[in-house]
Amino acid sequence: MDIKAYIESGTLEAFVLGALSQEEEAKVRADIAQYPELAAEVAIIEDAMYQFAVAQSVEPPAGLQEQIWDAIQPSAATTEKTGGSTIRFTPSYNTRWNYAAVWVALVGSVVLNSVFWYQNSRQKQEVADNTAKMEKMANEQKILTALVDNYRKSKDMMADTAMQTIVMHTMQKGHSMAATLYWSKQNGDAYVSIDALPVPPSGMQYQLWVMQEGKPVDMGTLPVAMANTPTVQKVNMKVMDGQAFAISLEKAGGSPTPTMDKIYVMGKPA
Amino acid sequence: MPTSTVYSEEELVQLLKQQSRDAFNYLYKQYAGVLFGVINKVVFDEHTAQDVLQDVFVKIWNNIDQYSPQKGRIYTWMINIARNAAIDKLRSKGEIMKGKIQNGDDIVNDVQRGMKTEQVTDTIGLRKMVAALKPEYEVIVSLAYFKGYTLDEISKTLDIPLGTVKTRMRSAIMQLRQGFNN
Repeated sequence: MDIKAYIESGTLEAFVLGALSQEEEAKVRADIAQYPELAAEVAIIEDAMYQFAVAQSVEPPAGLQEQIWDAIQPSAATTEKTGGSTIRFTPSYNTRWNYAAVWVALVGSVVLNSVFWYQNSRQKQEVADNTAKMEKMANEQKILTALVDNYRKSKDMMADTAMQTIVMHTMQKGHSMAATLYWSKQNGDAYVSIDALPVPPSGMQYQLWVMQEGKPVDMGTLPVAMANTPTVQKVNMKVMDGQAFAISLEKAGGSPTPTMDKIYVMGKPA
Repeated sequence: MPTSTVYSEEELVQLLKQQSRDAFNYLYKQYAGVLFGVINKVVFDEHTAQDVLQDVFVKIWNNIDQYSPQKGRIYTWMINIARNAAIDKLRSKGEIMKGKIQNGDDIVNDVQRGMKTEQVTDTIGLRKMVAALKPEYEVIVSLAYFKGYTLDEISKTLDIPLGTVKTRMRSAIMQLRQGFNN
């Protein structure tokens, strides 16, 4: 093995930094055990990283030392108990019972402390887990609320029996395009979908028109993102009357009147 | 470090195995700052960091029998416990690791912030050393050491070849070594 190349490869640094996979780490451990030069290099790297850590040290707040010692207590007490102590003198019958009672109480208390400490740390973990879960659920709920809102709108639209579907057909020879307008003449609600229109070129936008008394009336521009998707959008005005509906391609922001050779689709109500 | 008595590694291990209050006080005085610094690099919430520090001391206390000198330096062992506990806490909280990648500016700010809040004179020289580390080195060392990234993850995250990650690790630590030796 070329020790020098091994050292210069950076593998030992990656090992000390904890950046190796478990397999690679096991291999490096074996190599270190075999070659003292590698072990010496690792020790130097560890020292450097310790200095690196010391350079970034932060004093914990006062009082934490006491708090941590209190947290350590149950386990410390358990250890003392297993260390055991022997009572040398021969106690009277009564005293023996007293000692027994004290020991039972002590051991019971130690056991209970450990149990409570364990439960306490588990509960802390559970609280953290639950907080994360709740945050996730709140987010999901937001998404669902938006979705339900969308569905409610579509449902209202479908439930309206006066609603008629007007398919607008292509006005451009050789291009098969279509758009759909849902219109309730009773209350003037209108919805539009342009899923069969191509995405407009940049700087351009579709604009919806209604023919009223022979004149095109602006019904607003349609968001570019609607094209070629099954989105249905409510038209932002009441349409009480109309002989025909049309969509034209206009410069972004719309035009006061439709560009005649850019009328893509048109349809008439029943 | 401000201390009256300094124990060798073996003495410290022996002391810890006695599980006395004195042993704890010494351990805390010597290492709480370093471990808390490491934890603070991983988790950003002060309260969480304090909880983790407590867990870490309990773990060191209860598992001292599992430490053996063959595993490396005692402080590497303790720092690894702190690092892993902090990373585990971060992951259990559902925080997204990848969102926590620090860029060079953040790291410089961290170091400057540290220099402001810390008054321990002994560490000022060390802090300057770390601040002098090239940002492209510092990023790699921090991702591995403080965020638990593997070589592979660092390579993918920073979009640099795996071999380069390793050689930069080597160069970074060489620079630190030279600095600390002077």
